Amino acid sequence: MNMNNKIKWMFLVVAVFMVTLPVHTFAAGKVYKLGLSLAITGPTSDAGNPYAKGVEDYFNFVNDTKMLGEDKIDCTIRDDQYNNDITKRNFEDFMSQGIVFYLNYSTGSTLALKKDFEEEKIAVIPASFHAGNLIDSNYIFLPIASYSAQAIGLAEYIVNNHKGGTPKVALFIHPSAFGRGPVEDVQKAVSAGLKMEIIEVVEHGKDLDNTAMLQRLLSKGVQYVISQTVQSPVATMLKDAAGLGLAAKTFGEAGKLTFLGCHYTGGNDLVALAGPAADNFYWTTSYIITNEPSAGATAQLDLAKKYNRDEKAANSHNYANGMMVAQVATEVIKRAKAKGKEINKANLYEEMLAMNGDKAFSPGTTVGPVTYSKTDHAGVDSLQLYVVKDGAFKSAGTPFIPVYTGKIK
Amino acid sequence: MSYFFQLVVSGIVVGSIYALSALGFVLIYKSSRVLNIAHGQIIAAGAFITYALTVMVGIPIYFSFFISMVITFFLAMSVERIFLRRLIGEPIISVIMVTIGLMSIIDGLIYLTPFGTENFSFPSFLPTTPISVGGVSISWTQMVGVLVTFAMIGGFTWFFKKSTIGISMRAVSDDQLAAMSIGISVPRVFGLAWAMAGLSAAAAGGILGNITGINFDTLHSFGIVVFPVVILGGLDSILGAVVAGIIMGLIQQFASGYLDGNWGLSGTGEIMPYVILLVILLFKPHGLFGIHEIERV
Repeated sequence: MNMNNKIKWMFLVVAVFMVTLPVHTFAAGKVYKLGLSLAITGPTSDAGNPYAKGVEDYFNFVNDTKMLGEDKIDCTIRDDQYNNDITKRNFEDFMSQGIVFYLNYSTGSTLALKKDFEEEKIAVIPASFHAGNLIDSNYIFLPIASYSAQAIGLAEYIVNNHKGGTPKVALFIHPSAFGRGPVEDVQKAVSAGLKMEIIEVVEHGKDLDNTAMLQRLLSKGVQYVISQTVQSPVATMLKDAAGLGLAAKTFGEAGKLTFLGCHYTGGNDLVALAGPAADNFYWTTSYIITNEPSAGATAQLDLAKKYNRDEKAANSHNYANGMMVAQVATEVIKRAKAKGKEINKANLYEEMLAMNGDKAFSPGTTVGPVTYSKTDHAGVDSLQLYVVKDGAFKSAGTPFIPVYTGKIK
Repeated sequence: MSYFFQLVVSGIVVGSIYALSALGFVLIYKSSRVLNIAHGQIIAAGAFITYALTVMVGIPIYFSFFISMVITFFLAMSVERIFLRRLIGEPIISVIMVTIGLMSIIDGLIYLTPFGTENFSFPSFLPTTPISVGGVSISWTQMVGVLVTFAMIGGFTWFFKKSTIGISMRAVSDDQLAAMSIGISVPRVFGLAWAMAGLSAAAAGGILGNITGINFDTLHSFGIVVFPVVILGGLDSILGAVVAGIIMGLIQQFASGYLDGNWGLSGTGEIMPYVILLVILLFKPHGLFGIHEIERV
């Protein structure tokens, strides 16, 4: 073959490739880019790791089952080691890749990037349920009820079930915006008429022994401790209370302490850390749990099984948490597609705001529907109370919406 | 009054566990003048090994506790042999930088296992009813923790004062050149110091894991939490670590018991040990029992 023929053949091959390429691309559908930055390693990775698995598995499920037809979701998941600087770098990189929806993680980074989200006009769902995320923000959407709503819900449960006089309560909180978030709102609820007395707000450290704190609270007549932190300090406190014989065996037992906590204090991880001392711990969240049968629990366990996750991840409420935010993101893409809209930041944001009324979304992994609007950026308003009995969380009552959350607005 | 005594008991419990956790720093510093920044990671590794032996292999926890000490003994010795032996004679800051690198490597390795991101607790093996005397209570976990701590500290004190190897280690700590001139193998002493620090770290990890549950972040952060104890005690003194540990434990408990919740104060149990540390260091810059070296030219 002479040189001219070689060149001709090369042109022919290139031309065929150029002509067929768009056809292949069209056949393969569109790819929608999303991003998630979270702590897969480092502090709080015990929550971040199963969360990431939930997100990853659900998007793989969407693609594998062709839930969006030939279109696919490409969600890049990056570890930020709970470091705000890395989160910011990840977010900027995601934006340069053209993401249309963003999933964030910590309270600190959500607050730090709030302005960036506004500038980029991109809908964001963080794993932080801090009510402060929503102040001066149009683009952040909490997946479930805020920590404030959770703490108020627990406070209302105390008031409704306490026998004799006004219940005395202490708040046991993480020394950060994450922990301090609900304090002011619980105080507002008390001012608005919730009949309980907040005796003390304890900001914990890396305590090896909580004897002094527990004895002090008891000496002040405290009967209930509401925790807003992560599992590890709660586990140490529960172990100390059990070891000193100070933990209530029944709700509100006189002369003893009854412990309650918000989303990140509980779940199977708390039982794993505290062992038998976790018994009678009351916990609230908007997520279902897998040790009670439900369609959502089956879906969660099936998803985890399909993608070969171990028992711990499969049964983690943070796996459900990750799965649920991926469900919401997928749902808005589906809805935008069904309306023939282009899948971009603006249209997905619009679909988020329209997720209410008869368009509320029920993912199954939560105890109530997800609703958003221009004025409501907290997804699931309902909470479920769980209590540890014989080493496992069980439902206590039915889902409820805290009354005072509305009263203090 | 029983409240006061309860705080004293709790302070001693916490303090003695601080002392045990601080011991690893002291043992290495005492012989090689190196601060091992990765000590917290070795504490965590000790807890994980004990857990794995107990739950995954099925060995009774008492035995796994001792086996994990033996494993970390050799693990720490290997770390010294592989990473630090060749740095003998190099500036101390280089060695400390290597321990920082080591910390990252161990972190990374642990994150590759389920221990990095999952939570566990040791199976219950002690009575759950606390020991109560005159209104003062102490849990069995804490009691065993204190006993193990004092047994280990007693053992190390005897070792350094009476055994030939212990005296050799003190000689190396005093003057490496002089120790070499009388036939002491300095590299061997360094290896042994690391090994013993590993052993004490496993003991600390086992006790801490029993108290707080097994969570990597909580356990490895103890390497930093006990740092004020090491500084206050004087870096190279075992007795110093014990006294400083108990002082810190008592200050924490008393601050938490009497200051927190009053006059709008909160979290003083966390801050007060550092305040007292600063005040003491103003008057005793080498810590309570640290050696003040005077160089004559």
